[in-house]
Amino acid sequence: MLVTGIKSKPVYAPLQADVRGRYHVMLGMGVGAAPLLRVIDEMRAADAALLANTRLLYVPDAETPGSGAARESTNFKATAGGSSTAGGSSTAGESAQLHATSAGSSTAGESARLEATAVGDVQIFDSVPVLLDRFRSVLEASLMGTRLYVAGPESFIGLAMKIALEFNLNKDEIRAEECGSRARRVYCIHCRSTTEAVRTNIVACIGCGRWLLVRDHYSRRLAAYMGVMVDAEAPGELPAVKEVFL
Amino acid sequence: MNAQTLTVEVVRIEQVTPLIKHFTLAPVGGGSLPAFSGGSHIIVVMQGAGRVHRNPYSLLSAPHRLDAYEIGVRRMEESRGGSHHLHDAVKLGSRLDIAHPVNLFGLDKIARKHVLIAGGIGITPFLAQLEDLHGGAVPYELHYSVRSPEHAAFLDRLQSRAGANLHLYYDSEGQAIPFEPLLANQPLGTHVYVCGPAGMIKHVIATAAACGWPDSHIHWEQFSAPPVGDAFDVFLARAKISVHVPPDHSLLESIEAAGVEVPYLCRGGVCGFCHTRVLELEGELQHNDHFLSDAERSRAGSIMPCVSRARCTRLVLDL
Repeated sequence: MLVTGIKSKPVYAPLQADVRGRYHVMLGMGVGAAPLLRVIDEMRAADAALLANTRLLYVPDAETPGSGAARESTNFKATAGGSSTAGGSSTAGESAQLHATSAGSSTAGESARLEATAVGDVQIFDSVPVLLDRFRSVLEASLMGTRLYVAGPESFIGLAMKIALEFNLNKDEIRAEECGSRARRVYCIHCRSTTEAVRTNIVACIGCGRWLLVRDHYSRRLAAYMGVMVDAEAPGELPAVKEVFL
Repeated sequence: MNAQTLTVEVVRIEQVTPLIKHFTLAPVGGGSLPAFSGGSHIIVVMQGAGRVHRNPYSLLSAPHRLDAYEIGVRRMEESRGGSHHLHDAVKLGSRLDIAHPVNLFGLDKIARKHVLIAGGIGITPFLAQLEDLHGGAVPYELHYSVRSPEHAAFLDRLQSRAGANLHLYYDSEGQAIPFEPLLANQPLGTHVYVCGPAGMIKHVIATAAACGWPDSHIHWEQFSAPPVGDAFDVFLARAKISVHVPPDHSLLESIEAAGVEVPYLCRGGVCGFCHTRVLELEGELQHNDHFLSDAERSRAGSIMPCVSRARCTRLVLDL
């Protein structure tokens, strides 16, 4: 069963400022702060006015108590607290899973560093779903000429890209740098459930319990890798289960 | 592979403006024409005086109507003969050979909004696209600029299809499309399409880029007529023949007249289908296409024979 060498596997590249853009939206999670700080530096060097037209949404790694509310850092009028279901595509479970993958490394200092930049609007979130809901409302109000930068674990990038795709953002409008956990969202092609934070080559589907082989075959629409039943022909006979997506 | 041709009969001719004629072409003996999508063009093959013209024209009829195709032909001041032939020699009942429709100017299927910008005869591909946009869920605006009211072709059809989405501008009344505010204030996921004079296309592309638009959201179509130039000779390496290119014939036409087939689709420097390798060159290539990049031009390793020429003492092509 072909697992690697599949073209749909996303390819990421180090973030670079695109100064041709008139507006800039940055999303970061956990260690994704570092690439964003680098792009902010590039923008400041190119034209400091770019930062005034930049919005940055960031979620630190570790889940913090009282999730669901955005912390304001500028004069932004936060409404995120009560609107976490507006987008409808995320669940609390996704958030917990995402955070679980990268718990341990504290990035509280990163939030402060991002807030200290000259970026026009920095918002720090306590959970990925709330950040993504805000991201959706940012895109709804955005104009052509906007560039998107995403930095963080692949599953975070995938969820952000899924929303960007709904807004018809193309490759030349999006840059993404993968950093942090490589744990995967895995879509069961049999029962259509998505199992979060998968680190192993083979995983039990959260929906139907089938043992799934995690392929490199990726769906941008679903923001997930495809999982295919691995022991269909010889039930119970599983290849060695290894942690591969670290 | 060349675009296949079929024979049609001119069943209606209407002079819609002082410069534009509207032709309706039906299949000889009835039946249906090949299906197409809005933005497609056909090549009309015309036997002129001593030469064959093959000119691209956008289909302006509704894509769901296949009993006839409609095209709009502007009489070009500096015509090499194609548009003059259609205006002067082609009559009701005349037969023409046309190539199957090809679409190089389709609407983006997942756009959240379309902004269509037309100058003069550039309105034709949008007429077909309006049939798809009419009554659809995707918002759009059509900005149509013409010299004066008498030059506003197809206005009735545009008004009945586009209604309030149509914005009309008359040069004669000092009205101009407000490109900057128009392109600076479009929601994310908008695509802009422009068809019209070269200056307008250039201006729209530059303004959109200045507003931060990425290339993938900017679409344009302009069929260049092959410009006239100095005569030159070309040697075809595989056919092992020498071909003379007179001043008012294109390189592609001259090669075809010598009996060598070159694959083509648009004959207007847009599609890239006739891309040909240059094996030897003493002199310079005169690139008139919209396909090759600046880097490719400076390497002088290839040419689009449909619209480009050379000023040279020796040119060898991989044909």
